[in-house]
Amino acid sequence: MESADSARERVDTIIGSRGSKTLIERVMNIVFIVCGFAAVVCVIAMTAYMITSGGPAIARIGVVPFLFGQVWNPTNSQFGIAPMILASIIATFSAILIALPVGVLVAVFLAKLVPKRFSGVLRQIIDLLAGIPSVVYGLLGVILIVPLIFKLQAALGLPTVGSLLAAIIILVIMILPTIISVSETSIRAVPQKYEDASLALGSTKLQSIIKVTVPAAKNGIVAGMVLGVGRAIGEAMAVMMVAGNAAIMPQLLGPVRLLTASIPIEWAYSSGLHREALYGIGLVLFIFIMLINITLNMLLKRSAD
Amino acid sequence: MKTTKLILIAMAVLLLVFALTGCGGSDDTTTTTSTTTSDDSNGTAVSGVVKTGGSTSVEKVMNALIYQFQDDNREATIDYEMNGSGDGIKGTIDGLYEIGHSSRELKDDGTEDGLDAIPYAIDGIAIVVNSGNDVADLSTEQLRDIYTGEITNWSEVGGASAPITVVTREDGSGTRDAFAEIIGLEKGGSNIVASASIEDSTGKVQTNVAGNPNAIGYMSYSDVDASQVNTVKYNGVEISEATLKDSSYALKREFLLVTKSGAALSPAAQEFINFILSDAGQKLVADNKLLPIN
Repeated sequence: MESADSARERVDTIIGSRGSKTLIERVMNIVFIVCGFAAVVCVIAMTAYMITSGGPAIARIGVVPFLFGQVWNPTNSQFGIAPMILASIIATFSAILIALPVGVLVAVFLAKLVPKRFSGVLRQIIDLLAGIPSVVYGLLGVILIVPLIFKLQAALGLPTVGSLLAAIIILVIMILPTIISVSETSIRAVPQKYEDASLALGSTKLQSIIKVTVPAAKNGIVAGMVLGVGRAIGEAMAVMMVAGNAAIMPQLLGPVRLLTASIPIEWAYSSGLHREALYGIGLVLFIFIMLINITLNMLLKRSAD
Repeated sequence: MKTTKLILIAMAVLLLVFALTGCGGSDDTTTTTSTTTSDDSNGTAVSGVVKTGGSTSVEKVMNALIYQFQDDNREATIDYEMNGSGDGIKGTIDGLYEIGHSSRELKDDGTEDGLDAIPYAIDGIAIVVNSGNDVADLSTEQLRDIYTGEITNWSEVGGASAPITVVTREDGSGTRDAFAEIIGLEKGGSNIVASASIEDSTGKVQTNVAGNPNAIGYMSYSDVDASQVNTVKYNGVEISEATLKDSSYALKREFLLVTKSGAALSPAAQEFINFILSDAGQKLVADNKLLPIN
């Protein structure tokens, strides 16, 4: 009897005795709580920091002149970021508009249509694309895309300069992998029986995929879009290299400066109100991303209900 | 099983410890030997760490100076953070740096008081265009009109008919401030045409102009690579060491070492400044296509 009991105890516990087991449980509990709070503390600290360092500048410049002013000329103490806000919005949403349909179609292809032995290789290539540092995309833009656009600009008699179009193309290439891999996962997660049922009712394979499987994977696709928007609006390095960086109202073939690019470009030599205004841009960007995340999350929840 | 694993781990740890100790040991020996040799060869070698920081325009010459100085004084280390003239000056005021690097004059608006500026080199600002561009000479007037957006086509200044792409440095850049002042733009270049393409370093201006057939830019002469871009004559004068020296080429500015007025410098910092102003230091300045101050 006794020996059987002790044998059971040995099996039940991790390390020898009951006392040390509960101790470990408790310690690990604390470790997990600390880790969990670390993330929360980071977010709160960052929010506080952004507001305290960007807020005063915005207050001094004035919310309306800052957000809606059309001239950014720090030397003249003109701090209007409307052109950059517009450029950021236009670039991000054009990129999503192009990348979303393409990305979803590629995801459908990968999940449903491609022969099995190719799909693994293709997926690995796409995952690799998602991990490439943005500066490499910037280089690609400078070497391949910008010269092509120069030719177009020259043919139209426009100055040859980095442009909004170049920024959009770079962003599309950058966010495609994210959209593809998230969409593909969610399309694969749709139960096969949905498609089978649709096929049994007499629809073709493509009809079943487009009308049944893809709508069923809607949530995952929206999630991919959120991630894509996040990456696009937060991207600074790659667009900085191709966009020309003039803080003027955006035109498709003219130079634009995105909100994000303003900070690294002017940081080094800025001082006083100019530097605080750059913090202000950071704050605007921060609020922007929060708004986008909240709206898209709400959309996601509503569609789930 | 468990015991063998434990033994293996213990062995691995021990191995690592020994390996690291080995490294430390050999490092120690090398340092000692090198110190002895440098002490033998140079009786007045100084030691310590000097924190400096600032302008990116001075990078090339400053790295050369630091390299030579540290070679002469093996026990001394010069830190150089490249973060722009503004940060260099601010860091010196705040006591973050003992020496700040500036490629622009100190401001006289009260924000940069209490500092001493020691000029050590004169840098030419070159006007650069694409190698395919045959415009060879621009006057102050023409340059000003190009940068304010009054002249928008190369045909107006004697080139082929193509729209001009103006490339400029970012707001607050020392090169931009100096350029604006000399060609008579408003302070800090605030009236530079808003559609000008903005690059945030000397190297990026050169890359942009090298790849863009219709671009014009300005940059530190010490960084010009003639295989990439063409320099344009300014008021009929070609930029060169000779024309910078006899002042016939007027687009130039000083590189400054900035220190806090009245504060005592560490021996190493003082020695570094002395070295830069010495014949050996000034020779390095000249080797980097800059004009020595003396």
